[in-house]
Amino acid sequence: MDDELIIGIDLGTTHSLVGVVDSGFPIILADGKGERLLPSCVTWPVGQPPLVGTEAMRSRILAPGRTVTSIKRFMGRTFADLSNEEREETPYRLVPGERGEILVRLDETTLLSPEEISALILARLREIASEALEMPVTRAVVTVPAYFNHSQREATRRAAERAGLTVERILNEPTAAALAYGLDRLGDSATVAVFDLGGGTFDLSVLQMRDGFFEVIATAGDTRLGGDDLDRTLARFLAETLALGDLSGSEEALLLIRAREAKEALSSEELVTVRLPFFRGEESYEIELTRERFERLALPLIDRTGPICRRAFAEAAAKGASTVERLILVGGSTRIPLVREKLTEWFGLDPDLSQHPDEAVALGAAIQAGMLCGRVRQILLVDVTPLSLGIETFGGLMNVIIARNSTIPVKAGELFTNAVDGQESMAIRVLQGERELAKDNWLLGEVVVPFTPGPKGSARVGVQFAINRNGILEVLARDTTTGEDHLLEIRDSAVDVEDEAVERMISESIDYAFDDMKERVWTEAKFKSEELLPAVTEALELVGDRLEAEDRNEIERTAARVRAVLESGSHDANALKSANAALDEATQTLAALLVEAAFEEMA
Amino acid sequence: MRNPFALLGLPETLLLDPASVEEAWRDLSREGNDGDETEASALNRARTVLSDPVTRLAAWLEVKAPDLVPNRAIAPGLMDLFSKIGPVLATTDSVLARHRKATTALARAMLAKEAIAAQLAVQDLLAQIQSLKSAQTDRYAEFEAGDLESASRALGQLKFLKRWEEQCRERLLALIAT
Repeated sequence: MDDELIIGIDLGTTHSLVGVVDSGFPIILADGKGERLLPSCVTWPVGQPPLVGTEAMRSRILAPGRTVTSIKRFMGRTFADLSNEEREETPYRLVPGERGEILVRLDETTLLSPEEISALILARLREIASEALEMPVTRAVVTVPAYFNHSQREATRRAAERAGLTVERILNEPTAAALAYGLDRLGDSATVAVFDLGGGTFDLSVLQMRDGFFEVIATAGDTRLGGDDLDRTLARFLAETLALGDLSGSEEALLLIRAREAKEALSSEELVTVRLPFFRGEESYEIELTRERFERLALPLIDRTGPICRRAFAEAAAKGASTVERLILVGGSTRIPLVREKLTEWFGLDPDLSQHPDEAVALGAAIQAGMLCGRVRQILLVDVTPLSLGIETFGGLMNVIIARNSTIPVKAGELFTNAVDGQESMAIRVLQGERELAKDNWLLGEVVVPFTPGPKGSARVGVQFAINRNGILEVLARDTTTGEDHLLEIRDSAVDVEDEAVERMISESIDYAFDDMKERVWTEAKFKSEELLPAVTEALELVGDRLEAEDRNEIERTAARVRAVLESGSHDANALKSANAALDEATQTLAALLVEAAFEEMA
Repeated sequence: MRNPFALLGLPETLLLDPASVEEAWRDLSREGNDGDETEASALNRARTVLSDPVTRLAAWLEVKAPDLVPNRAIAPGLMDLFSKIGPVLATTDSVLARHRKATTALARAMLAKEAIAAQLAVQDLLAQIQSLKSAQTDRYAEFEAGDLESASRALGQLKFLKRWEEQCRERLLALIAT
């Protein structure tokens, strides 16, 4: 029985937890010091083995280039897929690997993949569990954001294997939270939504609970939206307000830490003082920050969750679900009062705060693990695939084979024939996403369908695309003449160096190495100014009369500043970026007035 | 594909009640919980097919008249609608593309008026599509009584309507998220 034990792991962006079912109840396991939350942080002291967790957190300021946080953001992604901002914003250095993958460069000789780094965190969790339970642990349920695609899930699974864990199930985080919520409400019949805003990702899932049966009806999300972004926004604001100029790695790391502390304090306080003693030599800084000021900075990010919720609600309704009755909040960022206020304002629902924001997902993972090893009674849990799966057609379009929000496991077949005499194989590009053009979606890889050589149209191979209970894709080919099935490998298509996109990416990374980055940031900022300035003029003409004089002055002042930087000829990218940010913020009210006017006019 | 009616243990009729499909799927899923993925995939597929009146009609025809040649001619009434759909979708896509490109709240707000107009136009189309769909699905009792030729013709029309409905719905969802 003991070696049958399965643990539940929440591998989070900022912290991770491990749980297990004990005497029928899910519990979180603590380390030797009684800590339940393991910071998802790894550091490599020179010449010594890596440190994980709280000890590693201390190195963020002393060794910012050798200390990795938020690695989850880079799991299963390619370097080309990163925005300029993402490439720049980590205190550690990101570089592209040979296959276009993302690598962390610690020093001249050390390159590490996000999988390897996550594996160290998972190995530490495994160790914590083994110590707490006093037995070896080899099997786990690991959670991922519901909106993770196939590649991100595969990367997570491989990281766990690297840490010596067999992954018994990849479980979606909001689904896990719903399990934690529903365990003692099995008799309920309700449509609930789980709003999961964590350190790096946002998910919204709508579920139907009925007769001890949990079914996810629709899910939506953003894998690049979370508390991390709020910290960075606040740190940027502090740097600008205090006129700190260019920041060293250590200074940036310290500022981020103080920003995060201030953000957390402002969930309960109305005012905090951010102190930076001896920040730079003898120079000390101090600034007061009100909750109201923080909320103005946070609003654009929090606003991004609204449309995602509305989309998932609309899809659930289209699939026949009744109106969402309860909105369950999980994830550390849901402690922010503004998040709760906005949800009430948008959906007229009082958020359900019954779940522990940091622990619900791990508890749910433990419950799922307990069900798999027979320690808790079975709850029938049915989930969906978050993204449409398709293949690229000749015209560069995406042909959907499995629609998003399909109940998993799911299988769909497609028949392929040879288009020319003697053709031996055909390469198919497999995609995930909702956009019409193939290039706008995630490319998962390529599968090669083998043909028995013969005249055109004679070879017929049925290809099955299957998404399993882990949300992971398997592609099977069936030769219709022999009736035999075999698994096709989903090859990383970035290996193909002929590929134009890869060449562009490699040349871009050379640009990056040669520090042309500044010029690119300038061009990007200039593009934003050119978008904003004419819009300001036009919007002021349309609804300017509805603005308070104070707001109008602020808009005119910040717009003048953008113009001045643009025309100064200095090509100071950072100055333009901060001028844009100020104008962007000053025009939030104007934007809201425009939308209001548009609705009035159409009504 | 296996006969979805048989798979869920349901009578081979077009007039299935959606609740009975759900119930059958649920009971069978509960039995096979965490079991074979192939079996579970087949059950999920059968449920999807039978829950949608258009795919249900296709599955029913496959059982009742496997040799019937599908009728793909487009009826004149549908042609009218088709000519309206193209321009509305093109306008919507243009608004959505500009919205995606916009990097500031103000630039997005500038598109609000067009986005609302597009949403109303798409909703109007959806209503027309749905009423044409109902006109066909309302005849299921008639088909059930043995008019397989008409059923096959209806399926041809319904397939077009379903595709357009999906295209409109995708746009509507994208507009909701603007």
